[in-house]
Amino acid sequence: MLKLLQEADVVVCVGSGGVGKTTVAASIAVLGAQLGRRVLVLTVDPSRRLKTTLGLGDQGEITKIKDPSITGELWAGVIQPKQIFDDFVRRAAQKVELAEKILKNKLYIQLSTTLSGSQEFTAMEKLYSAYESKKYDLIILDTPPTKHAIDFLHAPEKLSVLFNEKISKWFRDPEGKDRGLISNLLHTGTRQVLKILESLTGSEFIHELGDFFFNIQSWQSKLQDRTAAVHRLLVGTKTHFCLVSSFDEAKLKEAEFFSREIKKGGYQLSSVIINKAYPKWLDPQLNAPSDQQRTGNTALHSLWNQMTDYYRQKDTCNRSFAAKMSSRCPVLKLPELEHDIADFQGVKEMADVIRQVGVQS
Amino acid sequence: MEIIFITGKGGVGKSAVAAAFALNRAQLGKKTLLVELGDQSFYSDFFNLSHVCYTPVNLKPNLDVALLSGQESLKEYALHLIKVESLYKIFFENAVTKALINVAPALPELAILGKITSGPPRNVGPKMPYDCIVVDAYASGHFEALIKAPQGMAQAIRFGPMGDQCRSIDAVLKNSNICRYYVVSLPEELPVVEACELASQIQSTLGVKPIHLLNRCLPINDEDLHHQESKDLQAFQKRMQQQLQHEKEFLTRLQTENHNVFRLPQIYQVDPWKVVETLAQEIPNA
Repeated sequence: MLKLLQEADVVVCVGSGGVGKTTVAASIAVLGAQLGRRVLVLTVDPSRRLKTTLGLGDQGEITKIKDPSITGELWAGVIQPKQIFDDFVRRAAQKVELAEKILKNKLYIQLSTTLSGSQEFTAMEKLYSAYESKKYDLIILDTPPTKHAIDFLHAPEKLSVLFNEKISKWFRDPEGKDRGLISNLLHTGTRQVLKILESLTGSEFIHELGDFFFNIQSWQSKLQDRTAAVHRLLVGTKTHFCLVSSFDEAKLKEAEFFSREIKKGGYQLSSVIINKAYPKWLDPQLNAPSDQQRTGNTALHSLWNQMTDYYRQKDTCNRSFAAKMSSRCPVLKLPELEHDIADFQGVKEMADVIRQVGVQS
Repeated sequence: MEIIFITGKGGVGKSAVAAAFALNRAQLGKKTLLVELGDQSFYSDFFNLSHVCYTPVNLKPNLDVALLSGQESLKEYALHLIKVESLYKIFFENAVTKALINVAPALPELAILGKITSGPPRNVGPKMPYDCIVVDAYASGHFEALIKAPQGMAQAIRFGPMGDQCRSIDAVLKNSNICRYYVVSLPEELPVVEACELASQIQSTLGVKPIHLLNRCLPINDEDLHHQESKDLQAFQKRMQQQLQHEKEFLTRLQTENHNVFRLPQIYQVDPWKVVETLAQEIPNA
């Protein structure tokens, strides 16, 4: 892990929701900065408390975080999908009036905030512009929460079909006025489809949709270039993926599946982190209960037995998972700290734990 | 008819709680459908099922499970409206339509909500023979977007069938005799903060008061923590006392928001079915 943080340009933390990606991303960023690198961590909508403790503003600007333990630099920014999307539109549209027209389109408003894929797109957009700025040695990207880890990689594909030239032409010119007779005949089917869509949704929807596609015409190629550049960066040798998972069987199964998919896609999976693998004070190896504890009969005794049994069983699942994965990449097990991590002190503590675990393995 | 939405921060155990709700209702004799959203099934891994898809599969007596994707829901709705199979085929086999449906703003979300609320009083599309639908819904931010979609679309598109459908879906979501919203959290800082914010969002969007479920609480009473214990357990005892104290503070914080709060215990079982069966005994009734 330490070697990775010294050499990588980009580390992308992926994983399904609630496994502690944001905390892990922040912690390895601190670790990288403690190793003397200029690090930027980009996180998606962390809780307000983490935001205030890290001293981040609400406007999504990148802020420098100072701490005596940091020998390099540590910068942090919150990804604001709506704002990044709007910025992208303004840059791509070139003309102010055109940009404003798109920004006011009702469907654009829905698209930039709620559409599946828009968060992922903006995360990658922010990553790439930070990379291009060359202000940082290492960028850590905390990806948006998804139900499944794999959703993050599929999202840009989903979004880019929207900007496919064919779809746009179809909406910009539904009557086929610009086409010749033969082309017109070929498009009869498409017109029929449009009619059906209209009967399903109403003419107002179709009107907004057509308007939307007409307006984004100018920045389609820019978006596609951007997507291609981001893809090149993500499959590059100095970009590493770090899969964060939690300690339950379904999540581990998903992690296994994801690690296969990620390799298939040509990305480098460089480490798997199993977060909250066991409570720090109840390491199954260190705390084998004595016979005396086993025979106690108070409610507390039975709770102790239940808990240790439970974590020992989980540890078995975890070992078989690590054995399966170890041929592909290293697996780090992190304990659950004694208190919640909700401030910079907690993040630093986690960074220390990762350093220790990383050295051991 | 009862529709139960389970939401909360990622990783708080929504899926297990939703499954426990569904099993609880099924055991009370209600025909129950457990619904998960998205393109990939979590329950197939969780319950070790070979296949979970749009068509419900039976899990236990009175209990079916289905995976609702936006695309499949939209397809069914379109077939219901278009009626003519051949036209429908032209529509759905068109490459452009396929791409569009994947991304068109809010369409998949609306179709999913349309399907979930298709029973009485709306009665749209094929009948779903269930008394109770339990939805293992999206995590906080995405869930807010989901419940806001019908309102937002109805305002953007005022005329035509889409606007009408949006308004009728919205009315069902706001009907507290049909829909109930449970926000799951853990006795930890970030999940509780997020749960409070989400609960007030749900209330301001729908005017329905959600119920908090504080999940994974210690399965032990306060009085059981104050006996004289053997020396080697004293450190553990102290830790458990502290943890229970934290739990109480979190319960109070959830209650001050003027919401109902239920405590759900941590189940120290590795087998998912055992977790769900034990949890089902603790689920609040309607």
